[in-house]
Amino acid sequence: MALTGRAALLAVAGALVVLAAPAPALAFWLVVAVIVLAVGVDLALAGSVRALRFERSDDQRVRLGESAEVTLLVANPGRRRVRGVLRDAWSPSTRPAPREHEVDVPAGQRRRVTTTLRPLRRGDFTAAAVTVRALGPLGVAARQGSHRVDGRIRVLPPFLSRRHLPAKLARLRAIEGLNPVQIRGQGTEFDSLREYVVGDDVRSIDWRATARRADVVVRTWRPERDRRVLIVLDTGRTSAGRVGVDPASGDPSGWPRLDWGMDAALLLAALCARAGDRVDFLAYDRAVRAQVTGGGRGDLLPGLVTAMAPLEPELVEADAHGMVAAVLARARRRCLVVVLTDLNATALDEGLLPVLPQLSSRHLVLLAAVADPRVAALAAGRDGAAEVFEAAAAERQRVERRQVTARLRRHGVEVVDALPGDLASALADAYLNLKAAGRL
Amino acid sequence: MTSITPTITDRWRSWRGVVGALVLIVLAATLIVLLGGSRNGGRLDIEATTPSGARALAELLRAQGVEVNQVTTFDDAVEQAEGSLLVVARPEFLADPARLAELAGRPGARLLIAPTEPVLRALAPGVTALPGSPETVRKPGCGLKAAVLAGDALVGGSTFGDATCYGGTVAVVGDTTLVASGSFLTNGKLAENGNAALAMNLAGTHQRVTWFAPRAPLGAPEGGEKSIEQLIPANVGWFTWALVLAVLLTALWRGRRLGPVVEERLPVVVRAAETVEGRGRLYRARAARDRAALALREAALARMTPRLGLTATAGENEIVTAVAARTGQDGGQVRRTLYGDAPGGDAALVALARDLDTIERQVLDS
Repeated sequence: MALTGRAALLAVAGALVVLAAPAPALAFWLVVAVIVLAVGVDLALAGSVRALRFERSDDQRVRLGESAEVTLLVANPGRRRVRGVLRDAWSPSTRPAPREHEVDVPAGQRRRVTTTLRPLRRGDFTAAAVTVRALGPLGVAARQGSHRVDGRIRVLPPFLSRRHLPAKLARLRAIEGLNPVQIRGQGTEFDSLREYVVGDDVRSIDWRATARRADVVVRTWRPERDRRVLIVLDTGRTSAGRVGVDPASGDPSGWPRLDWGMDAALLLAALCARAGDRVDFLAYDRAVRAQVTGGGRGDLLPGLVTAMAPLEPELVEADAHGMVAAVLARARRRCLVVVLTDLNATALDEGLLPVLPQLSSRHLVLLAAVADPRVAALAAGRDGAAEVFEAAAAERQRVERRQVTARLRRHGVEVVDALPGDLASALADAYLNLKAAGRL
Repeated sequence: MTSITPTITDRWRSWRGVVGALVLIVLAATLIVLLGGSRNGGRLDIEATTPSGARALAELLRAQGVEVNQVTTFDDAVEQAEGSLLVVARPEFLADPARLAELAGRPGARLLIAPTEPVLRALAPGVTALPGSPETVRKPGCGLKAAVLAGDALVGGSTFGDATCYGGTVAVVGDTTLVASGSFLTNGKLAENGNAALAMNLAGTHQRVTWFAPRAPLGAPEGGEKSIEQLIPANVGWFTWALVLAVLLTALWRGRRLGPVVEERLPVVVRAAETVEGRGRLYRARAARDRAALALREAALARMTPRLGLTATAGENEIVTAVAARTGQDGGQVRRTLYGDAPGGDAALVALARDLDTIERQVLDS
């Protein structure tokens, strides 16, 4: 049950009547009786909320930063019209709008209600409840009730770095186009035989083939294909730290390292798929949080974003032993292992560095991390003692970061350390460099 | 069914325990009040069992066969005064001179307890109250039989002339007895000294006692003015109640939420740079200027040495010479900036940071 402003208005009008009435006590009790009667009539004659039936559109998926429309079908099997307001409540992070809908469902009919969701963050969100307030004919009181109508929306990572994809693909084509060369080298495999043209390297002439045909024939080579790339996303405590500016909401408190890592991983995966390499994905902190194995070209990206969407930073120290074991169990052949984590000196000292040789002896390891632009800003602070002390702390952190980077490189690990906006591009470049150098 | 709003039956099932407990508590409280017999009341009220009441005295008098009736209005007092002892227990509530005069016209004995000026003028003409002394235990000091038999008693207040007992605070004028204070009659004080005896002797002189103890002021005060409550028309009171009802309905209208509060598991929000800021504040709190200066110098050197054409293994002299040659600064000054002692104060640290910036800019720009 709920009252409306009319009930209060009725009481105020009644108060004026009481003030003027010759018999105030009688007038007061008359006013009370009128209000009680009006409320009773409204409650008795309002349409039944409990009997309403609801149907929802299918589960939806939407990229972060875009809006989704969820529709709700309201059926009124009762004998009386249901007129009033309806609220389709979702988690606050999805920002449902409008908050309240005017509904008017005649007896035995159905109406469609559309709510627009503009999610603020990635993840799975469920519908909380559908509440209907059915007004009585006098508009003084209403029946109110809630229903649980299951609904779900999956908010996918935005893949903002896809704007870099054309440029990286152009570079990939340049590498591939450059490479149907005659020089056999590392990272190339036999492509085809073709006729000799002036200027070709005489060393690439295939004499056996030439002998079989009338023309001089040379061998061509192309970059190796069908390599394996395993992307490992660290979802441990260091991935919760917020860096840069949240591109979805413009929130200056930043975007978690995890989301920047996902963005870079998506660009890398898209590039690998076009380059003909196989991509596996693993999210790990103390257990496997998500994995995608051997995705074909077509369904790789949808599979990846679906696997990434519900991931959240876990507030536990990542288990490097377990991660290495999980990687080794999945990658039997030599492959490129891309670890997206943080270059945190203490965390790496106690975690990854001791077990890194197991990994780097069998695979090529590429470690990518987001640098914090705020640290650079702090290092430049010179106004007053407080800022200089913070600048010193920032310099200390940058020195530690450089040292741990140097130690990782000594282990034969490639390191990509870039600002949030540049990480995806830098990681893709590192991959292309490795590919061009034939080190995959 | 998808409804999650509980039905009336569900609500009753979940709330019946609470409702039952509340009903039990109210019933128990009512029973205790009804059976306990403790009654509140005004000062010197013969129904009151509080320390300032007078129920004990009334019970004592009744045990002696005296009929004690309490009256609270002038009409009752006037009607019952004849043939009994009229005890005026709350004279401060009697201010209407006309009604007092009417009461004075009735024959009968009177006991005036702490009489006020109007009461004294009407019921004991000729007696004047003089400023007296505080309440203490006094000796009778007179020939009055009631006082002599009772002995010491707690009295005080105004005095009523010379030929009286207890230092002038108890006086008998004809068949009117005046007592300057009523404390010795109360439940709380009755058992002390000769209080009870004096009270019994004074109040028990007749077979019937009319105890006049109004609970609120009677009649209009002398000016004939009405009190503020009587001036307000009755409509206003009911209007106020109607407004209260309106406010209540407004609160119910605005306070009703459309559906339950939606809860959500929020992600943790922690800025990655917080550790750096924390370490900076820690340096500052411990005044770790040496560490701060070292960090700044190391970082500046790490950026400068490649531009100077030196490796990381270059020694102090080599670097100082190269920097001095490149910037044209004095060698000793450069050495103090790059390798000097830890700064002595915060101002020196800031100055050092600026000097390092200057050298670095000159080296990188050259």
